[in-house]
Amino acid sequence: MNKSKHLEEVIKTHQITKEKALLDKHIQKKNEVKDALEEKYGTDIYPPFNSGSYAKNTAINTKFDFDLVSPFKRNAFSSSGTLEQMYNDVYDFLYDKYKNEAEVKKQKVSIGMEFYADSDGDVIKIDVVPGRELNQDQYSDDENLNLYVYYKYGNFDAGSERIKTNVKTQINNIKDRATNEKDSIRKIIRLLKVWKNNKGNYPTKSFFLELITIKAFDNNEITGNLWEKLKVVLEFIRDNVTKENFTLKDPGNSSNDLADTLTTYEKQQLSSDMENMLNRIGENDENLKTYFPENQKFKEEVSNKNEYGTNSGIPIPPPKLNFG
Amino acid sequence: MKGRTTEINTIIGNIPDVTIIEPFELKDGLTKGCISVFVEGLTEAIQFFVEISEQYPFKWHDSETIKFFNSELLDYKHIMEDGSACIHTAHSPVLSKKLNYDIESVKAWIKKYYINRELDTHYEHLIVPRRKFKDACFAYFFNEVDYQFSKNQYGYLDYSTINMGHFHKDRCTSSIIQSFRNKDNKELVEAKWNFQIKSLEKHIGVYIFIENTPSKNNRWIFEKWGDFADILPPDFLKFLHFVEGQFRKNEGAHLPLMIGYKITESEIHWQAVMLEIGNFPIYGEKVNQQWVSQLDKERIIDWAMTRDCSYKYFFGRGKLCDRITESKILMIGVGAIGSIVAKTFVRTGCTKLDFIDFDVKEPENICRSEYSFTTGLNNKTDDLIFELFRISPFFEPIKGGYEFSETFNYFIKSNLSDNQLKSEIEKYLNSYDIIIDCTADNDLLYILSRLNITSSLINLSISNHAKHLICATEQNRYEFITTQFNGSVLEFDTEDLHNPTGCWSPTFKASYNDINTLVQFSIKHINLKMGEKKQLRNFVIETEDQNGFNIKLKEF
Repeated sequence: MNKSKHLEEVIKTHQITKEKALLDKHIQKKNEVKDALEEKYGTDIYPPFNSGSYAKNTAINTKFDFDLVSPFKRNAFSSSGTLEQMYNDVYDFLYDKYKNEAEVKKQKVSIGMEFYADSDGDVIKIDVVPGRELNQDQYSDDENLNLYVYYKYGNFDAGSERIKTNVKTQINNIKDRATNEKDSIRKIIRLLKVWKNNKGNYPTKSFFLELITIKAFDNNEITGNLWEKLKVVLEFIRDNVTKENFTLKDPGNSSNDLADTLTTYEKQQLSSDMENMLNRIGENDENLKTYFPENQKFKEEVSNKNEYGTNSGIPIPPPKLNFG
Repeated sequence: MKGRTTEINTIIGNIPDVTIIEPFELKDGLTKGCISVFVEGLTEAIQFFVEISEQYPFKWHDSETIKFFNSELLDYKHIMEDGSACIHTAHSPVLSKKLNYDIESVKAWIKKYYINRELDTHYEHLIVPRRKFKDACFAYFFNEVDYQFSKNQYGYLDYSTINMGHFHKDRCTSSIIQSFRNKDNKELVEAKWNFQIKSLEKHIGVYIFIENTPSKNNRWIFEKWGDFADILPPDFLKFLHFVEGQFRKNEGAHLPLMIGYKITESEIHWQAVMLEIGNFPIYGEKVNQQWVSQLDKERIIDWAMTRDCSYKYFFGRGKLCDRITESKILMIGVGAIGSIVAKTFVRTGCTKLDFIDFDVKEPENICRSEYSFTTGLNNKTDDLIFELFRISPFFEPIKGGYEFSETFNYFIKSNLSDNQLKSEIEKYLNSYDIIIDCTADNDLLYILSRLNITSSLINLSISNHAKHLICATEQNRYEFITTQFNGSVLEFDTEDLHNPTGCWSPTFKASYNDINTLVQFSIKHINLKMGEKKQLRNFVIETEDQNGFNIKLKEF
């Protein structure tokens, strides 16, 4: 098995442009929510913007990350208003407006909206991230925001108001690296997202995977084919994420450490998952398909000649080999 | 034998702090003597009469064949009714070593329970002599109930006989307490048994909650009814008289009386007494021109055996982690793997299990699953539920019959494209905490992998000759299993399959032992992970038969 060829197919079948209709629905819904927020908060809010993977050029088509960052003015909720007030006010507004068409719930730093399936069965998910500028009218100059932590987020405690960041810098940092090194960084990030998405509800944020991929590239001479590059990144995560001095600086605020978004157990689990993956693929290349499957929806059918049961020219279905 | 007696005298005579008071002699088949044992902390040595059986130094029926008696020690812990010390000692086939061990154990007993008067952390039940009642033994099983009894509360109870067997050579009838009623026969509370047990034929008994232990020394239970003279209230004796009259036509039949008392602040123990209708331990006496019921004080109490079968005791010796046992579980597919998983779960403390399988149990299924021959052709779900009822009184299936299985199968495979019904199916499945799919049905695997299931969904399947067990626990279960079985990953014999007679699909070859080994290994792993609140990962158990059996678990 040619591992790199398989990985290229994985990326190809996960290209976001292949799900144009669904992408358009997300963009449309995101714009609707953005307009609603601007109408509700008027001059108290700067234009909300998308900070998800689509904005960073690292999206895959099996999970759309549409994070709508909503930058509020410092005094939007009165001069003594708290971040918690901001967070709850936005939640109340979104809940009242969308409660009949979506499940609106409080998440770690965002408010998640999962719209009920439309007639095509498509589900649109938008996360609204309320943030507040540090000082009145300062956002235009520095684009810095304070976020509210609703519930325990790695080592950040619930109710904490200490996440200060610059989302635009975050986006640009990833986007620039992913675009400039699209054959390496962008591909690896997309592969890791395919892996994470495949795991279901995995605690590691996509942003964490983006930053750690970049860090792996900054710390290693990463060359060779796609599998060889991916392998080095997987090894880097395996070997480093549990180290006591391991940090992942937020490009939006160097005093934020993304390593803090995972608990010690979650870091151990991530390292152990990398180790298992490397071992299993090392034992048998075919296991790569378990971790990095192609998106069957867009898999091109290949001629099956020379495959099982076709030598006689009459296709024979493969036998059942798993039993209960 | 004389040589052995001499040897015993010599050995014991040489043990430090032990003095032979009466030399050992062979009497009535036993080697008997008297010794005194001194332990630091005593003012004077303690004497014991010692009896050594012929089997010594070996045990007989789990009992030591040496006994150390002192009837003056009856008030101390771990002294039996006959005045013998209950010692925990070590094995040795060598007479001298064994005698040394046993006397060391007596010294340890003296230090712990005589000098230090230590109390054990666990509750020690009263010693109840096992007696036959009218040539048979009786045993009553009770279970904790959600009810607070008050002191001297009495009334009726319902009990059901679950089996008539033997206790060694004696006939033994085992029954369970079903419910408690007040003295006016109004139901107060039902015991927590499964509905099959609850549906057994019920008989009447009586109870009284006396609150305090029926014992003079907290060691042995009362021997004669006279011991209860100041405890059982006149009203209760009157009630007993009334009950006896009520059942007069059944004269000679037995009627159990359960006597309840607290063993901890929150725990009640019930001890059964056998009463014979027409021969209750009461009599009438005229006091101030009125007939009053009195206790027949000299009558020996016919205590019966009682067992507390509450969940914590029933599974006290070992169970799976709470995260599994407290879960509501759905088992899809109860063939070889599924029936073993189900039986293991029920034996290890799970109570809420539902089953889906529309297959019928055939005789050839029995050799490698948890079914029995005598139930003949039967729906697997019905048959398994019946088997499991017999194991645990707490197993309580909610759904699991043939109709339910057919309905589930139809809905899940017919409505994947209908978003509303799909959402209903998801909602239904998500009402379970754990779903175990042992069908090896790849269509179902595909469907389940396309549903938004928040429960812990675990797929278990096996390769031919039980060479591997594949366990999928993650969202990518479909890709994982199909990759493992695509012919390029797991290597096993794909030709040597078992072809049942008739038009059946070939099935894998493996014995109950082959399959059970892998299933138990996987349950062990899952239990460990869930017990430690860790994430479950897909895994494969690989086996190797060359150079002995080897087994290896690989996590993905």
